Order: sequence, then structure tokens, then C-alpha cells
Amino acid sequence: MISIRHVRKEYPNVTPLKDINAEISRGEVISIIGPSGTGKSTLLRCINLLETPTSGEIYIDGQAITDPKCKVHLLRRKMGMVFQSFHLFHHMNIIENIMTGPVSLLGKSRQEAYEQGMELLRTVGLGDKALAYPDELSGGQKQRAAIARTLAMEPEIILFDEPTSALDPTMVGEVLSVIKTLARQGLTMMIVTHEMKFARDVSTRIFYMDQGEIYEDGTPEQIFDHPQRERTRQFIRRLKVFEIIIDSPDFDFIGIISQLEQFGRKHEMGQKNIYRIQNIFEELCMQTLVPRIGNELQMQLLVEYSEENNDTSMTIRYTGPAFHPLEEGDELSMLLVKGLCQSSTYRCDCSGAFKNELILKLKQD
Amino acid sequence: MTINKIVEGDKMTLILEDRLDTTTAPQLENELKGSLCDIKELILDLNQLDYISSAGLRVLLAAQKQMTKQLGKMEIRNVNETVMEVFEITGFVDIIAIR
Repeated sequence: MISIRHVRKEYPNVTPLKDINAEISRGEVISIIGPSGTGKSTLLRCINLLETPTSGEIYIDGQAITDPKCKVHLLRRKMGMVFQSFHLFHHMNIIENIMTGPVSLLGKSRQEAYEQGMELLRTVGLGDKALAYPDELSGGQKQRAAIARTLAMEPEIILFDEPTSALDPTMVGEVLSVIKTLARQGLTMMIVTHEMKFARDVSTRIFYMDQGEIYEDGTPEQIFDHPQRERTRQFIRRLKVFEIIIDSPDFDFIGIISQLEQFGRKHEMGQKNIYRIQNIFEELCMQTLVPRIGNELQMQLLVEYSEENNDTSMTIRYTGPAFHPLEEGDELSMLLVKGLCQSSTYRCDCSGAFKNELILKLKQD
Repeated sequence: MTINKIVEGDKMTLILEDRLDTTTAPQLENELKGSLCDIKELILDLNQLDYISSAGLRVLLAAQKQMTKQLGKMEIRNVNETVMEVFEITGFVDIIAIR
């Protein structure tokens, strides 16, 4: 139904979409998730040509909407869009907001548009607000009215651009509930959202966007329970990541200890947890790998902290011949490291830049 | 790390502050080297010590050995929760007098 091929969008100082490719079938409900500023909304705006892609093609039912000869207004009728900030006409009451499109663009009679509008308002739980003006409604009610207005145009595809992000948290549920009902009716929908539980429940497919591309595409189960790629995993598990490369045995130890402290404090990890990370780093790096590997030492330290469940893990990758520190390292240092961890995994992979990899899951109180 | 030293006859108290790690352990080692010879009772007050690593533990162990050798005693006092965790994991609670 929608085919997106090598779409790129550039602005003078930023390129939110680098190379987007996707095939979307009728009836799919796709949630687009990812960190802020990764082009999620830009993608939706390119699909209905509120933004013109710099290059690439978008096809709707086989017609290239990116072709300058395309009758965009006809294709746009297939698509409705629900915006963050509702975009209702403030000088019209709610039923007039809903009737305007069908009367002026679809050629419906006022009576027909009114009856359909009232039915839609009842569907979104606003049957008693038909004569109210937008300013008399709460944020959640305005957004439900905006959804009803979009539905009145009988679109085949609805694009939702962060439909709950401008709402008071108490009103998010009522809007999500309406969208869930629509999803069950078989409409094709693309939803940019930060509501992860909602995305998981409502979608048939998830696009995780990052670095200007659809970084990972899969079912909700694949993306939320078994993400395949690193950045997806970090995002889904709300991981905060500290990473540093050490390329000399004369590295700035005090500087790194201080950076670990700052990282831990910034993410409110707790002082005890911060000391454990520093302890493990010191024992493995200063007491074990520096003396053993010497001038050839190259090491990567990755600390991942999950805000979701307070899990902390440390990954240490390093050069040199196969060496399992927990088994072959200094006894006292390794006793301390083992005592501060719940579990450990060592792997030696000759093909990587860092031959040795040690993953430690830290103990929690 | 800051080390405050109080000597009363053959009793010496060292009050350690901040961190006892790879970079600061040599400072404590030097302090002990120059001061232990006539001491019969060594007290290490760790009330202000936030962090200790194996480098610090090795210095404490060496001091303990030295005190035993010269028929003296060593005691560690006022250990906070984080440092105590390190003592417990490494078994130092069984080999050093901690009060």
C-alpha cells in the first residue's frame, strides 16, 4: 500500500532522514519509535508531502506521490493526519470542525456530514460536545475531536504524529483508547509515539528509527523482547551508556574515575553502585590488564545502566592474546571483582578488533 | 587522599580520608614505611575513607604483617558500608581486626 524507497530529507544543517526504505501493507498498524530528533515525524510528514523528500520515492497504491506530475490532493484524500497540537479551527464548534472537510472536499451534503460527524463523535466519546468550541474542551477531548475530524474524511491511512505528547498525563489514556479501537477496525495506521506499552499493545509492526534510518523493523515481540541491534536494545531497555576507549597504559586513570562518578550521579545510580563500577574498572584495568598487556593495551569500557530496573552491566573489550582475567588474573583483585558481580561471561573472538570480551552484570542490593 | 597522623608514645593513629586506590596507596605505603618501626599499636581510622581497592588492601595487609613481625597490633576503626563490603568480599574481615 505504501512503498518508501531510498527517501532522504536534508535541511541546511541537518539530515533527519538518510535512507529510508519500507513496504507497508493494507491493515498494518505501525508504531514508529526512537529517540527524539531521529526523523520520526519528518518521515510521516514526507509520506503525506507536508515535507518534500530531498531524494527517493514514495508510492501509495502504486502511484508515486514524489513525482511532480502526481495529483497530490487526490492521493492526500487517502491519508488523514492527526497532529500533536490538534489543529482544530478555534472559531468553529466541534461538529463544524468535523463537517467542513466532507462538505467542501468530498461533496457531501451538510445533513449527511452532520449525521456522520455525530456518529464519529459518539465513537470517540464526545457525543455531548458537538456544539462546544475547542477552547471549552480538555486536551484529551480536543485530540479525540481531531481524530473524529480525520475519520470524517474516510481515509484509508491515518498518520498519527505523537498524538499524546501535548497532553496532560491524565488524558493520555482516553486518546490511546480511541486509537486502539481504530486499530482493531483494520485501518492502516502509522503512529509516531513515545508510549512504549501502547506501541507494543496496538501495533502489528514496529519501526525503531535511529541515525536517520529505520534501524530495526520487526514485530512488537521482536523489537521489545528480542531486539537484534545494539541501539535498539539500549533504547528499549532505557539504557544509559558510558563508553570510553583506552589506547595506552599511561591513560588518565583519575580522569576516567571522575567521569564514571559524573555518569553515575547524572543518572542517579546511587553512590554504592558508582563505587562498585569504579572498583571493577580499577581491578580489571589498572591491576590486571595494564601490567599484563603493557604498551600494546587497547581497551574499550562500556557501562550500561538500565533506568527501567537499575541493572548495571560492564563490558570490557581488550587486545592481546586470549586471557580470562577472572580465571588467570591476580587473586585478590579477581576475588573483589567476582564479589561485586552477579554473573560474568568471557569470550575470545579472534575476528574482532578487540579479541577479548568480558561482560559483567553487577550485583544489586 | 589525606592522611592525618597522631602519635602518642608507641601508639599511632592514621586517619585516612577520601580514596585509597591505585594512585593513593603508595602515599600510605610511604607513610607507614617511615613511621612504623617503634610502634606497638597501629590504629587506622577509616571514618572519612569513601573507597578502597585491592591496591589499598595490599598496603593494609603489608602493615598488618609488619606489626605482627614487631610483636605489635593493628586495628581498623569506623569502616563505612562501602569499604566494609570490600573487606567482606575479600575475606579481610577474618584476617584484620576491625572495630
